[in-house]
Amino acid sequence: MTLTAQEWLAKIRALPLQRRVRIMNVCGGHERSITLAGIRSALPKTVELIAGPGCPVCVCPEEDVYQAIQLALQANVILVAFGDMLRVPVNVPKGEVRSLEQAKASGADIRPIASPREAVRIARENPQRAVVFFAAGFETTTAPVAAMLLEGVPNNLSVLLSARRTWPAVAMLLDSDTPGFDGLVAPGHVSTVMGPEEWLFVVEKHRIPTAVAGFMPVSLLAAMYSVLRQLLEGERFLDNCYPELVRPGGNPGAQAQIAQALHITDANWRGIGVIPASGFGLNPCYARHDARIQFPDFDAAGRKRAGQMPPGCECASVVLGKINPNECKIYGRACTPKSPVGPCMVSDEGACRIWWAAGVRTNATAGDAQALDA
Amino acid sequence: MQIVEIDGFNAHCAAKGVAREVSLYLLQGEPLAIGDFVMVHVGYAIQKMNEQEARSAWEVYDEMLAAEARGA
Repeated sequence: MTLTAQEWLAKIRALPLQRRVRIMNVCGGHERSITLAGIRSALPKTVELIAGPGCPVCVCPEEDVYQAIQLALQANVILVAFGDMLRVPVNVPKGEVRSLEQAKASGADIRPIASPREAVRIARENPQRAVVFFAAGFETTTAPVAAMLLEGVPNNLSVLLSARRTWPAVAMLLDSDTPGFDGLVAPGHVSTVMGPEEWLFVVEKHRIPTAVAGFMPVSLLAAMYSVLRQLLEGERFLDNCYPELVRPGGNPGAQAQIAQALHITDANWRGIGVIPASGFGLNPCYARHDARIQFPDFDAAGRKRAGQMPPGCECASVVLGKINPNECKIYGRACTPKSPVGPCMVSDEGACRIWWAAGVRTNATAGDAQALDA
Repeated sequence: MQIVEIDGFNAHCAAKGVAREVSLYLLQGEPLAIGDFVMVHVGYAIQKMNEQEARSAWEVYDEMLAAEARGA
């Protein structure tokens, strides 16, 4: 009964699609697979795939990145962060340190890590130094951060937490006048941890067909087929096209650990604003490991463009799926992976970075498409 | 990744020749054994892999319709 990716694609092509359908994904991993596997161009022309809010680095508040830079420069801490955070630029006058990478180059002790366990190891190896773990991520990454805290961390380790929940951003889009999509491919690993039921509101409240997908083309194509057929047949349900990992209820142990270590807060999304109940803070019992409590706020009042995207950068519109990456005026012009202006061109989960990696060199703004790097 | 060895909340895991130390802390409620496959994210196993099931509810639905048609 299990079909191959080719067979799912054939089933999609056989559907009697007439009007334009927009399917949004909200996961950088999905967007990467879709783009690198060339799924967009393989689908019927009436199907448009939109990259929505799926990149935690892209929405990490500019103030938090600024604070991390200043902690490393002024507080003499060892600053550890997931690697793709290091090149995210903040808004500072020319000549000032504008990323963690530049801070590292100017002598700050900044170390990229791939796991919270490395943060613990670095703290244990440097008992005389304060270590700050700058942790940005969605629920899949938040659960390991919670586990790290519960398992016990050395006194010299604290967390600058920029964790975000995925579904509230989709809820915000759906509650707006222009959601911009007709079907949703829900994130696989967020659903693995939090349970697919988090996405039921999309189906039940908004009547938008939804399917949870994994990261292989076979799962993504099955989810797209499911969403399209639901639209055609007038059916609405939450399909699970990632059954090898996504179970009813998700991983309840991981959810309990998140609830034990963290609490839900309203949270700021860079360039987008505050989304209710979309973030996490450390519970009071972990105050001694909360970098927001343990260190002063270095952000000078009145810093120009604090919290905003850089001038000309349309990352916020890209993140919300309002425009394609190459519909940003500076895509491939002022903003490339070599000299990124906005976070979407930095992170491996950023839609701009992914499109560039897949070879999209055409800027689609200003009417006539302009080939870049020709 | 496939579990090769378990030591408390730590596991040695391997996938395609790559060996990793993986935390099982998030899967405390899950009975795990050597040979099981787990999905690993930032060094933590987040779920045990299930046996392959139907990829979409539409597969089950179409299969049922086909079975009915055969039976009719």
